[in-house]
Amino acid sequence: MTREEILAKATEIFRDVFDDDSIELTEETTAADIEDWDSLMHITLINEIEEAFGYKFGMKEVLGMKNVGEMCDILEKNT
Amino acid sequence: MNTYTIESIETGMTASFTQTVTAEWFEHFLAVSGDDNPLHTDAAFAKEQGYRDRVLYGLCTAALYSRLAGVYLPGRYCLLQQCDVSFVKPVFAGDVLTVSGTVQEKDERFARVKIKAEIRNAEGKKVSRATLYCGFLHAETE
Repeated sequence: MTREEILAKATEIFRDVFDDDSIELTEETTAADIEDWDSLMHITLINEIEEAFGYKFGMKEVLGMKNVGEMCDILEKNT
Repeated sequence: MNTYTIESIETGMTASFTQTVTAEWFEHFLAVSGDDNPLHTDAAFAKEQGYRDRVLYGLCTAALYSRLAGVYLPGRYCLLQQCDVSFVKPVFAGDVLTVSGTVQEKDERFARVKIKAEIRNAEGKKVSRATLYCGFLHAETE
């Protein structure tokens, strides 16, 4: 998948999880940009991303991701 | 009280207990919730609606899931984060309920377990089912 395709697919997942079609992800998007992105929603989000992309993040990856761009880096390398 | 930690709890572990519903539960839950809907407070109204007696508040039945998680599975170090519950049959005073749960998934990355739980009455009918997500508090050090 291209970077753009990954970001587009992730955007769809974010919109579903947060039930908000106005979400427009960028590489710089963080939890601070989406009101309902708290620690519990983060777990749901990671689980949905993993299922959709067929990839399970490692412990270091989960703890290390600082924004959507870093998540895309991991998905680009591994899917 | 069980003392499972994220390290010691395992997928497939189970726990269960039995509890009789008493009339006092209705009054206690009314006092806490302020829900005086007649289905729960007026036996005549409940009978008109086709029930044999006042119906216990669903969320009062669900309180038993709190005990399942906080006392049994995982127990002392439980931090209940999410509870998705369905109420599939009515519960009445005098019912003997059996609450049971099984650890379905364990995610060490988030220190969290998913527990499938259910409550059955003395006839073996399922009155509620739930999915619980539990995090973990820090275990005390000696």
